[in-house]
Amino acid sequence: MLRRHFLSLASAVAIMTSLPFAAIAATPKDQLVIATNMSSMRGLDPHELNQLEAAEVVANLYERLIVLPADKINEPQPGLAESWTISDDGKTFTFKIRSGVTFHSGNALTAKDVEWSLRRLVKLGLAPSTDLRQWGFSADNVDSLIRATDEQTLVVETPEVWNADLILLSLASFSTSVLDSAFLADKAKDGDMGREFLQTADAGSGPYSLRTWRANETLIAEAYADYWQGAPAMRRVILRHMPESSAQRLQIEAGDMDVATRLSSTDLSALETGGKVDIQKTPGFGFYYVALNQKDEILSNPKVREAFRYLIDYDGLSKTVMKYYGTQQQSIIPAGLPGAITDNPYTLDIDKAKQLLTEAGYPDGFSKVYFATPVTPEYEVAQTLQANAAKAGIKLDLQGGDHIGKFRERAFEIFSARSGERLPDPHSVLASYATNANNADEAKLTGLLAWRSAWDVPKEIQDMVLAAAHETDKAKRADLYTQINKAYLASSPALVTSFQRTDAKAVRKEVKGYTGHSTWLTRWDTVTKGE
Amino acid sequence: MISSQATTVKGPGSGKKLLSGARKIATSFAVILTTLLGLLVITFVIGRLVPADPVIAAIGDQADQVTYDRVYKEMGLDRPLYVQFGHYLADVVRLDFGQSHITKNTVSSDLARVFPATIELATLATLIGAGFGVPLGVISAVRKGTWVDHLGRVVGLLGYSTPIFWLGTIVILIFYAKFGLIPGGGRIDIYNEGLVEGPTGSLLLDSILAGEWEVFFSALHHVIAPALILGYAAMAYLSRMSRSFMLEQLRQEYILTARAKGLGQRAVVWRHAFRNIRVQLLTVVALAYCGLLDGTVLIETVFAWPGLGQYLTSALFFADMNAVLGSVLLIGMISIAINLLSDIVYRFIDPRTR
Repeated sequence: MLRRHFLSLASAVAIMTSLPFAAIAATPKDQLVIATNMSSMRGLDPHELNQLEAAEVVANLYERLIVLPADKINEPQPGLAESWTISDDGKTFTFKIRSGVTFHSGNALTAKDVEWSLRRLVKLGLAPSTDLRQWGFSADNVDSLIRATDEQTLVVETPEVWNADLILLSLASFSTSVLDSAFLADKAKDGDMGREFLQTADAGSGPYSLRTWRANETLIAEAYADYWQGAPAMRRVILRHMPESSAQRLQIEAGDMDVATRLSSTDLSALETGGKVDIQKTPGFGFYYVALNQKDEILSNPKVREAFRYLIDYDGLSKTVMKYYGTQQQSIIPAGLPGAITDNPYTLDIDKAKQLLTEAGYPDGFSKVYFATPVTPEYEVAQTLQANAAKAGIKLDLQGGDHIGKFRERAFEIFSARSGERLPDPHSVLASYATNANNADEAKLTGLLAWRSAWDVPKEIQDMVLAAAHETDKAKRADLYTQINKAYLASSPALVTSFQRTDAKAVRKEVKGYTGHSTWLTRWDTVTKGE
Repeated sequence: MISSQATTVKGPGSGKKLLSGARKIATSFAVILTTLLGLLVITFVIGRLVPADPVIAAIGDQADQVTYDRVYKEMGLDRPLYVQFGHYLADVVRLDFGQSHITKNTVSSDLARVFPATIELATLATLIGAGFGVPLGVISAVRKGTWVDHLGRVVGLLGYSTPIFWLGTIVILIFYAKFGLIPGGGRIDIYNEGLVEGPTGSLLLDSILAGEWEVFFSALHHVIAPALILGYAAMAYLSRMSRSFMLEQLRQEYILTARAKGLGQRAVVWRHAFRNIRVQLLTVVALAYCGLLDGTVLIETVFAWPGLGQYLTSALFFADMNAVLGSVLLIGMISIAINLLSDIVYRFIDPRTR
């Protein structure tokens, strides 16, 4: 009887598991399904977030004055601004706002909405507000400097003369997204300008509107039928939280996902040879770097800093862990931007490193604590550096963990990580790596990598960086950046750059028009699906 | 007269009983409150000791110091630790667990969303585990030393020693990637997302209530593999325990007596031996259920199951302390509730405890 009972139960479960469920072999033709890791997504307020995955969502829910096409990343094109003019003194930008654009609420988009949105970004003063604040806008002056003169005209005045491209490129950033001010008027709580509401809702005019967002689970966006450029081909875009790289790989192979965004090198390599997907490597404006604390007597020696340059296995890493994550770039201006140098003069050379250490007065090496983020590929890069350093006599006590706080407080000896800027201009990287207006602890310029490394950047380099940002002549500016790049490399910087970051995504071959964007503005309305 | 006597005798006895009952209830409440408070204190302190910086986790590494300082204050981190804890405790008493820095929702609404997913999975797994494990354990005990017993022990041992994470991955590789028999992850096919948003949070129940059978079958299809894997682990535990309890009972003299009376095997096993292991079984099933409620994190990760385990893990990684504390408190309360419930059920099935 017992056995009969047991067997009948077993049979019931066996039947249940073998029910003829239809295995779905491919996603529908009018829906785009993206596997992603939502762990870092912190709300959807464009004026608050500062994170790649959330920025891609915001890029499609909202629109901005300027558009940067993925293939012309530093050529500003009309977006919500139909056209613009720049005054002779280079300080006043007048934008003609496109008519016939409506928000998802049905409200018409006007210059007043743009004015309200840009002022809101500056006044909230959160992380992405740097995009405007760095040009001198502040909560005190923004009301007078950014103003709508009529329904279709917006005037932006800059406190100083900057290269016009810097302003225009900034107005293409996701952080300058235009919000529906009338719709948000009654959503504000305690003067938060709708901040709480926008964490989980949208008030945009983009090609998609937000239907569902369950943090760390699913996000569903619906095509906006009245979008001014016409309704997008993909009726729905679905983002699914899938933190495991192997799960993403299996699902994209099976056709249950169209795009996979957070894959390990091993999975990317397997997918590439599988033939069902294309691997996109989108260059980012940031570097894998090693920061040497200049408060440390040994590490502040230029020859020691130089020695570290010879301890990185550039070629070996390029072929292995960095195959999909980065391209060799030892100078400071990312490839593709004015002034970039493609020469990479350093190679792994233990003998040369030893020689430099001897010249610096440390023939027997030294010991240091080395903090590295325990994620792929940063940690693998750190491990190879540790191994090579040991051969040169430097004993690195490699400690994984979240040490970013200590880096910000300058409480470290050696630290390595990856940086990422969004402005497609050399200035954004240089401002962080090569300017440090006040190297004192109390200055707390924690947003700058140079300050965190306690590196008193040579004055001539800092002056050139500022001059280039103000320079309005394109050719002169490019020349300045070339000079800066060379001077930076020659200065044995405290921030040792090795690879320019790339963000790899796997896209099913039948999906067309999904193109990774260097400034995190990947569009969904350009996507179509073939056979 | 008798009645009056009875009343006079019964009066003080009843009062004592009432007093003793009230004292027991008060003690139980004190124990529960102390347990929950202890749980909160430990989690709170550990949360402050982990090296992750909640401010950087919320605003990103590149934020400048002005933004950092502002958010630091917004999060209340500028206040002394005991003040932070005091404020938190006062909010908890009002059932306000605060806001999650990750999801930007209130922790209560997040828990209301993720916990039913875990309950659904854990309940099914427990049903599978108990449905297979208990009969298997009983059969093994009754047929001790036969091939059935050996097989049961091997199956149990495998369930004990196989890491769930590994088993989940292998199941996905074979049954999803190779044969396409099960879905790759999640609670439901993406095309059925949002069709049912029902009162219980359990997609299986809500879809039945809404009459959405396509959603029901999609949800059932998704839950089978993770529930079977978890259920297998529970089965391994429950079958070993059932076998051990039954063996102990079958050695008792009353069993010998029952057999001597000429009772059949069925009556001896079920009416006599099994009845006496029900209390012990209830305890281990309740323990297994509690273990599954907070121990599904690995399987939730492998199957991208948006439950409490995944929520808690994410919160821990990103120093989202309100979410961590809320989750821990919920798990603590549920564990206590299950234990209380099993205590109450004891009283019904075991007269000695009354």
